[in-house]
Amino acid sequence: MSAPVYVGELEELIFSMVEVVGADAYGVSITRELEAQTGRVIMISSAHAALHRLEEKGFLKSKMGGASSARGGRRKRLFQITAFGRRALGDLRDMRYSTWVQLPNYLND
Amino acid sequence: MTDYPQPPKWAETLIGRLAPEHLAEEIKGDLYELFLSDVKDFDESRARRRYLWRAIGFLTKRFFWKRLTQPNHNMTGSYFKMAKRSLLANKGTTAINVAGLVIGIASVLTIVSIVRFELSFDTFHTDAGNIYRMVRVSGADLSEFRTGIPYAVPPAMENISSIRKMTKLEYFGGASVDILSADGSFERQFVEEEGVVTVEPEFFEVIDFADSPIEWISGDPKTSLSEPGSLVVTRTIAKKYFGDDNPLGRTLRFQKAFDFKITGVIEDFPSNTDFPFTMLMSYSSMPLLFKDRMSDWVSSNDGHAVYVVLRNGVEVKEVEEQIAKIHAAHVAKDLSAHRHYFLQPLREVHFDPNFGTFSRRTITHETILALDLIALCLMMVACINYVNLSTAQSTLRSKEIGMRKIMGGSQKNLVVQFLTETLIVVLLAALAAVGLIGVFTPSLGSMLGLQVSINFSDSFFWLTLASIIAVFTICAGMYPALLISRFNPLKAIKNQFTTGRVAGVSLRKTLVVIQFTATQVLTVATFIVVAQMEFFRNVDMGFDRNATVITIRLLNNDRSLLSSFESELRRLPFVQNVAKSFTLPSGVDRNRNSRNIGNPGATNVQDYFPYEYSAIDENFLDLYGIRLLAGRNLTLADSGKNILVNEALMKNLGYTDPQDIVGAEVKLGGNDGKVHVVGVINNYYGNSLKERVDNIALDANTSRYRQVSVRLDLAADQDMTEVVTKLEQAWKSIYPEHVFQFRFLDENIAMFYEQELKYSRLFQLFSAMFVVIGCLGLYGLVSFVVNRKGKEIAVRKTLGASVRNIIIMFSREYVALIALSFALAVPIAWYGVNEWLMNFENHIDVQWWLFAAPGVIVLSIALGVVFIKSFNAAMANPVNKLRNE
Repeated sequence: MSAPVYVGELEELIFSMVEVVGADAYGVSITRELEAQTGRVIMISSAHAALHRLEEKGFLKSKMGGASSARGGRRKRLFQITAFGRRALGDLRDMRYSTWVQLPNYLND
Repeated sequence: MTDYPQPPKWAETLIGRLAPEHLAEEIKGDLYELFLSDVKDFDESRARRRYLWRAIGFLTKRFFWKRLTQPNHNMTGSYFKMAKRSLLANKGTTAINVAGLVIGIASVLTIVSIVRFELSFDTFHTDAGNIYRMVRVSGADLSEFRTGIPYAVPPAMENISSIRKMTKLEYFGGASVDILSADGSFERQFVEEEGVVTVEPEFFEVIDFADSPIEWISGDPKTSLSEPGSLVVTRTIAKKYFGDDNPLGRTLRFQKAFDFKITGVIEDFPSNTDFPFTMLMSYSSMPLLFKDRMSDWVSSNDGHAVYVVLRNGVEVKEVEEQIAKIHAAHVAKDLSAHRHYFLQPLREVHFDPNFGTFSRRTITHETILALDLIALCLMMVACINYVNLSTAQSTLRSKEIGMRKIMGGSQKNLVVQFLTETLIVVLLAALAAVGLIGVFTPSLGSMLGLQVSINFSDSFFWLTLASIIAVFTICAGMYPALLISRFNPLKAIKNQFTTGRVAGVSLRKTLVVIQFTATQVLTVATFIVVAQMEFFRNVDMGFDRNATVITIRLLNNDRSLLSSFESELRRLPFVQNVAKSFTLPSGVDRNRNSRNIGNPGATNVQDYFPYEYSAIDENFLDLYGIRLLAGRNLTLADSGKNILVNEALMKNLGYTDPQDIVGAEVKLGGNDGKVHVVGVINNYYGNSLKERVDNIALDANTSRYRQVSVRLDLAADQDMTEVVTKLEQAWKSIYPEHVFQFRFLDENIAMFYEQELKYSRLFQLFSAMFVVIGCLGLYGLVSFVVNRKGKEIAVRKTLGASVRNIIIMFSREYVALIALSFALAVPIAWYGVNEWLMNFENHIDVQWWLFAAPGVIVLSIALGVVFIKSFNAAMANPVNKLRNE
């Protein structure tokens, strides 16, 4: 296992949502997906904060997408997972998994 | 447009402004997208609320406030390089700009230093906020202000519990001082003009100079001033009298009568104190000096002052009432009703001219305010000047600005660029201003009679300079920077500009009007001040003020010595007349000695009139050209029994015709008994013309002569120093041990108006500066217009306009602007000038030409500037302008 990955809980959720949403991952689509998947409603600003944090850590990269009238003619910032990010996500999953299997069985029922 | 749902516009703008540049778009986009979906789900107003809520969410996030650092966008070096280039490219404008700012900065810096110095007087004592000077106000209309407290009053106040400390002192000012050798024989004589005082040891507990205590070089603060006949001198005096010898134990004889032994030497007092003491005698010596007067409850010397420190939280009024009770218990009822003692806070002492100070310097709060206003106006005018010049210059730089914008220079870059230029200009100006101040303050200080102490090692000075630089840079630089950086690049390249307009009026024109209003207010004020000074100098004072009269002060009134001195003087060929008197008719050296006089029936205080007393001899009236209106001149035989009165006193005594009072009997206040009036003289101004004519009465009491007046009849080529030397020789032959103290009468009178003369010079100086700066600004404005209208002029010329037409076209506008500012200036100046003139009992009438003349002068100077600039433009060959399109 490589160096430990430090990602907050909300960050981790959003991190995975970027992968789930895929090509059209940006602030609004990610909050909507998160709500759909987990029922959790977050502020758009929190989503932005988490995305920028992940980008700073090098897990995500971004580019400006196309403009649309639904956005008042403004472009959106599309996020995409980096190779490093993908590996880190894998590491996260492995770490969770290895912890989970060590817990008593009743939790796995 | 309005059909579409809109998020709160201001919130959107705010987010756009505040967000990091690279994130603004996506944030606004996301917010808008969510807003639209909210509009669908709920109603519009709720959607707007949610929009706001989300926008606020962003404000709480840290990433929102983070700014990208752009290491490769650091342009600091480039700003300075570009600024240097453009300043060098326009050397003329730069020089004018720097010159204007130098004047502004130097003046402001000087004024700030002056004001700070004046405000610092006696603020450094431990109890400064709680020290009070006892003052005396008397008269039915409370118009007589005195600081002298009768000797018996303060000892009776010892029991007032609210007074924590009290110290009495008597300031004598000048004195003649003989140094006695060890065996008591006369060694040398000095004359001190000021600084002689008696103080109690407690003086240094009240006036303690807490910030930098007066160092005792020798002697002890507790004991040196306790014994009668002891004296403490400052280091300067010790050095002056004894050089490097030990002054302790030496004896000094004051006024040829009182011996004091030196028991201590202290460091000099600071310059910003109204206790300018150099020779401090022990207060316990007072009974030696004044004998029985120490128990006097009524009369006093003006120099006898009392300072008290009150307990914390004590009401001043309460203490004043207690003092009033004590006073009433010891004096006659009519006196206690007429005379009131008040406590004046020490921090007001320096600013109240009514009572005066020992340093003879006061400055009113109004004067300080006026100085502050002048500084502020100068600063404003200098800034306006810079704004005018740099916006004018910017038209020449429009292509550069357009280019910068097109090449990706942001508005911020340009603002910083222009502010950098301003900063450089201001720094240059500040540097020159500091140099200028260093060179000129000493002479300026003496010219204005102001103590300008500019201390270059004082951090406050540099702090002031730094803030002046900052204020100038921002005030002068911000507007042009914002204006220029906002140019539309396309228009800028095509040289099409519009500059700021406020309510349809060009901002630059408004600024010019403001500038010239300030200038004209000051020039009008200067004219009036100078006219008033001329009036003081030339008006008939009631005696012959143009005669060359030297006055000599006597220290000894031995009659035989005096008459031999007089005959010695009369022997000199250039002496026309000699008169002996108690005091002079006028001038600051005059000893003001007032007493009461009344008609024979006078009984209580109200029936008496205060009058100024002097003893004269038979030559006095003739020497000074004072006219007798009735009766006869005094002769020596009249002694103190017969008097002359002036017209004012005659009227007060109830007579209208001078003939009637001759021979009448009048009663002097006190024990002086009754005297007869033998003659009436015309009114003359014993005081300055700022005041009224006083009641004057003269007698021929020979024992009271203190002054000798010598009227000189000088040949045109007579050397004045030779005359003075001859007079001094005559003096030394009679009074070998006395210092020859003399003064010219005209100087003596001129000293009345020292304060006004200072103002007059100050005004002249500053109005010259205003005119210079104003014209620099005008020059800038005209250049701007000429540059802009270059093509117009060219076209007009090709179509047949003459040079004259074009010059008139330009000048017309400025005549109008300056006329407008004149119209604004007149009422302001009129108000200010009237207020000032009201200070004087005798003043000039404000005449129309006093306004018109400065107006015309300013107008013609300004027109000269306009003319030069527009003449150049009109003479230019039109082809040069029209060639490049």
